[in-house]
Amino acid sequence: MAIAATFFFGFRAGRHARRLHFENEPIRPWMSVPFIAHTHHVPAAVLFQAIGLQPHEHDRRPLRRIAREEHKPVEELIHQVERALAEAGHTHPAPESGGSKAP
Amino acid sequence: MREQILALLSQYGSPVLFGATAIASIGLPLPVTLLLIVTGSLVAQGVMPLWTAIALATAGSVIGDQIGYAIGRWGGARLVSRFAAVLGGPQKIALAEAHARRWEGLGVFLSRWLVTPLGSVVNLTSGIADYPWRRFVVWDVLGEALGAALYINLGRVFSDRVLALDQALGDFSWMILGLLGTLILGRALWPYIRAKL
Repeated sequence: MAIAATFFFGFRAGRHARRLHFENEPIRPWMSVPFIAHTHHVPAAVLFQAIGLQPHEHDRRPLRRIAREEHKPVEELIHQVERALAEAGHTHPAPESGGSKAP
Repeated sequence: MREQILALLSQYGSPVLFGATAIASIGLPLPVTLLLIVTGSLVAQGVMPLWTAIALATAGSVIGDQIGYAIGRWGGARLVSRFAAVLGGPQKIALAEAHARRWEGLGVFLSRWLVTPLGSVVNLTSGIADYPWRRFVVWDVLGEALGAALYINLGRVFSDRVLALDQALGDFSWMILGLLGTLILGRALWPYIRAKL
């Protein structure tokens, strides 16, 4: 079992390492707009405008909190951000649940 | 829990980093590697200075480790058994004890940054085994500082790929643990195998 686990996790680590080069980050509710802008190499102002907010450099509220304060579902904000990123030429992987949690 | 902690770190930075690393080191299952990687990304974005981030993560982790060690050494049998159950039960404790016996101070050091799933349990078993506190502190500080510097810098370099990096490191860490289990079991079984041949 220990040998099988070694090979299994080694294979998965290699697969995730390859993803480092080829895929964009999925968007999560804990991410702030400047964080998403950084990970996708677009100006934060573009994303703030996409979700109907005034661009603010120091606004580091996570999407979940913005959604709560704006009385919108967080999925709607994520969708708006994804659409803005798609217009800027980015694509997104479907959320994956297969990765083991970091210890 | 994971989402809430990351949201708090993303919004408030340093105090959350310090508190979360301390709590995780005591043994609460927080995604500490991902926290450090996200911290590295925040450093790359200019939200937090690099050395402050490394110092806070190291200090938080060391404080949490000391609490775990103190419970093992002075907590009494009842508290120790309760705490051991929270940390993963007898099997994980046995693996950590084997790891600690085999590597001693180096075991403390390696469990801070390489075999991180065993970190909290090694704190407890070091305390139970009366491992000298001063030596524990030295190995602990060295290991935690290396771990914080390593994962924060990895997050800084791959600041736009934090989730993929976390998944790769998570699997890598479990692979090392599997390898360690193979070596320990292999060594224990080797006399029987040799007798059969």
